[in-house]
Amino acid sequence: MKKPIAVLFLVAFIAVNAQDQYSAGMEKAFGLWSEKKITEASNLFERIAMAEDDNWIPYYYVAQVNTLASFGEKDEKVLTKQLEKAKEFIDIAKRISPNNAEIMVQEAMINTAWIAFDGATYGMTLSGKNAKIYNEASQLDPKNPRVIFSKAEWDMGAARYFGKDTTPYCKDVEHALELFATFKSDIPYYPKWGQERAEAVLANCKS
Amino acid sequence: MLFSFDFWSINLKQVIMKNYVPIILLLLMALSSKAQVTINGTVTDKSSNPIVGANVYLEGTYDGASTDESGKFSFETTEEGTQTLVISMLTYEPHYEMGDVSYFKDISIKMVEAVNSLTGVTLTAGTFEAGDNSKVSVLKPLDIVTTAGAAGDFVAALQTLPGTSTINEDGRLFVRGGAAGETQVFIDGLRVFQPFNATANNIPTRGRFSPFLFKGITFSTGGYSAEYGQALSSVLLLSTTDVPDQEKTDIQVMSVGGGLGHTEIWGNQSLSFNTQYINLSPYEALIPSTQGIRWNSPYESISGEAVYRNKGDRGIFKFYTGFNHANLDIEQEDINFEEFVRFRLKNNNLYFNSSYKHFLENDWSLNMGASISWDTNDITLLDNLVDVKETASHVKFKVKKTFSNRFNLSFGTELFNVDFKESFIAQDGFEFDSDFNDQLFAGFVESDVFFSNNFAMKLGARIENTSVIDEFTISPRLSLAYKSSENGQFSLAYGDFYQNPLNEVLRYDQSLESEKTSHYIFNYQYLKNGKTFRAEAYYKDYDNLVKFDTELPQFDSQFNNLGNGYAAGLDIFWRDNKSINNLDYWISYSYLNTERDFRNFRERATPNFAPEHSFSLVTKYWVDKLKSQVGLSYNFGSGRPYDNPNTEAFLAEKTKAFNNISFNWAYLIDQQKILYFSVNNVLGFNNINNYQYANTPNVNGVFDRQAIRPAADSFFFVGFFWTLSTDKKSNQLDNL
Repeated sequence: MKKPIAVLFLVAFIAVNAQDQYSAGMEKAFGLWSEKKITEASNLFERIAMAEDDNWIPYYYVAQVNTLASFGEKDEKVLTKQLEKAKEFIDIAKRISPNNAEIMVQEAMINTAWIAFDGATYGMTLSGKNAKIYNEASQLDPKNPRVIFSKAEWDMGAARYFGKDTTPYCKDVEHALELFATFKSDIPYYPKWGQERAEAVLANCKS
Repeated sequence: MLFSFDFWSINLKQVIMKNYVPIILLLLMALSSKAQVTINGTVTDKSSNPIVGANVYLEGTYDGASTDESGKFSFETTEEGTQTLVISMLTYEPHYEMGDVSYFKDISIKMVEAVNSLTGVTLTAGTFEAGDNSKVSVLKPLDIVTTAGAAGDFVAALQTLPGTSTINEDGRLFVRGGAAGETQVFIDGLRVFQPFNATANNIPTRGRFSPFLFKGITFSTGGYSAEYGQALSSVLLLSTTDVPDQEKTDIQVMSVGGGLGHTEIWGNQSLSFNTQYINLSPYEALIPSTQGIRWNSPYESISGEAVYRNKGDRGIFKFYTGFNHANLDIEQEDINFEEFVRFRLKNNNLYFNSSYKHFLENDWSLNMGASISWDTNDITLLDNLVDVKETASHVKFKVKKTFSNRFNLSFGTELFNVDFKESFIAQDGFEFDSDFNDQLFAGFVESDVFFSNNFAMKLGARIENTSVIDEFTISPRLSLAYKSSENGQFSLAYGDFYQNPLNEVLRYDQSLESEKTSHYIFNYQYLKNGKTFRAEAYYKDYDNLVKFDTELPQFDSQFNNLGNGYAAGLDIFWRDNKSINNLDYWISYSYLNTERDFRNFRERATPNFAPEHSFSLVTKYWVDKLKSQVGLSYNFGSGRPYDNPNTEAFLAEKTKAFNNISFNWAYLIDQQKILYFSVNNVLGFNNINNYQYANTPNVNGVFDRQAIRPAADSFFFVGFFWTLSTDKKSNQLDNL
């Protein structure tokens, strides 16, 4: 009697272990990221992604690490490398998980990084693409706070540029904050950024 | 060492609590006591420079590390046996080492640079690209149409590039000493048989296509790919947008007419259309054109274009159609007639173009497509009637195999069919019909070889067989590119090009041969931080040019192929959109030395359409405070040769130089409404294109002449452009 149960436990043990290896790897990568070891963090997310090739989460983070590092980057070569890497991995994430609004928001963020670097060159072509991405994402996942907030922030930027009133978008930010309070996902390491930033933007709205 | 014993021991505790201590413990002992192996080494490039930040890991595991400042890496693993060590780094080819983990000690790895289309060498000799790809494009689609003086005609914008000559009264492309008929236009790889609107003599034409349906424009001023033929000088390649960004409606209200465009998207399918009505009457009533012309009924046209696209997983289907109906009635001064000469024209043009691209397994792709056009012209010149009908079609099939990012091969075949009919009925009842039918078969093969990121070659050949003159030709094409430094590269190109005699000749004589040119091109290009410099020297050898013994080709002309000629020159282009904030400008200069003996020339001479020096300066300045883009362009062409029959020499005199300063202002009222204003030739230079001499001398034995001038020196344009879209952000700035 004991033997089959032992085997069962062994199987369970290996499964749990694999899961924990994933958690430990992800935790370690987040640790490196918080220490601003961008290359190391990106490389570790990449290794996890390569080993877990049906899970979009690590791919998403390779893209996000490289995108966020690109904001404020002045060296075009470094920026190009990072954003190309981000694009490569977000494209794979899209294939693993099609019609995922979270991935679409990250994709738009890559475009935004290009626009932030050189608006004259990339603004015209990429802002149209972003408008399209945000529209699709908000139709796909209207309850996702990051989608609602990112779209509102994008719309605000455009309105500000044209000297228009940005207050109509403040209620979208408020709505996003309501969604942040309730939004839950069972997927480990599911993206959860955005709430603080949304609060800051809303504070700006009210001042 | 990423996943240490701590981690294992946590599991250990959990499991021990389950009371299966002995077995599990044993098992765990076995698992946990796996020996740790250290893997280390150095990663460098070919010249032993360390590569920093490369990702080194065992395939399928989390075990790995990044290389440090000196290219070194070290990590521990519990994996055993044969493993694959992966070294990956952007811009390098991934490197794999297979072997027992114990062998991965102090290994040195040299990575090979990946051939990269964005930073590597590009085959650019002879081509200008306008597209979204910022590396190889000298112009963006936006530039094409926001150029002052271009008034939304992308062909006019291309005339600010080096290698072209501004032939003010014609409007078509004259490239490197070539006549307008030596340039062919293709949409999605398929021939456009009548790319320009029909017009009267000395009234400049415009391209038929609205730029906003196209994502990319490649303008080759010589040495182009074996995929294209039947153009002695140049090809202009337009590709339609694959997937539009969003649904929108465009409304245009202009001083010369109005337009409406719309894009609709359903999933993978989309449809865009654009219609336009142009009528010059109100403008002519306000500011009449007076220089040598009288409009009875100014130019009026109604035109429409539509593109349908369907993008699947493995393929994309596109269907493009355009129609145009134009009407004009004009009287023009002519030295040989006391009265103005009346010219009436009705043109109908219908064009279809359909293509399908399919991506197969193993990097094979298939391209197939067909285009067909029907064009009719009803012309009344004085009281002579000319009725022209042309039906032409093109079918093409192309296969491409990408073996690696270093080598690809493409080949294909195509068939052109032209059916031309003209009937002429003179005032006195004389009638003459002429026609011809041509079936031209062509085959081509071409390969791109990237020897490294610094050295590339394109090698191809084309065969053609044309039925109307029963001739078989083989044209080799070659271009080489060598990247000499991080930002600079040299290119060389050579090619032979054949073209059938023009329709106006073929309809009378089908015993002729193809005309031929050979191009030799040497190019240097430097790209850095928004600055582009290009210099291109070329030599073109013309042979077998058609000659005839009458002023224009006609039914009783004697034709032969005894003409020849050459064109040599230097084209320089400089563009800078970074040095001065919000200012973007480019400068083009072309030097052209050409002589030819063709048509009815009595000896070799420089033709009227070949000014020696051409210069353009185009500037665009974005004024953020005014939400406006202001553009100023200056065009210069040195004097053009004309023949004075009062002297012995042939085509020996020159007109005064051509000058034009144009200005435009696009004001964004808000995100979706634009007010646009432009003036062509602001300073009102009195340009003279040519002189027409009387056929017979006057009483003093002198041939009288009259200057051929533009119908009006300056032209004004006002437009209001309104876009309605769901995101409320797009506008038509890129269509102006």
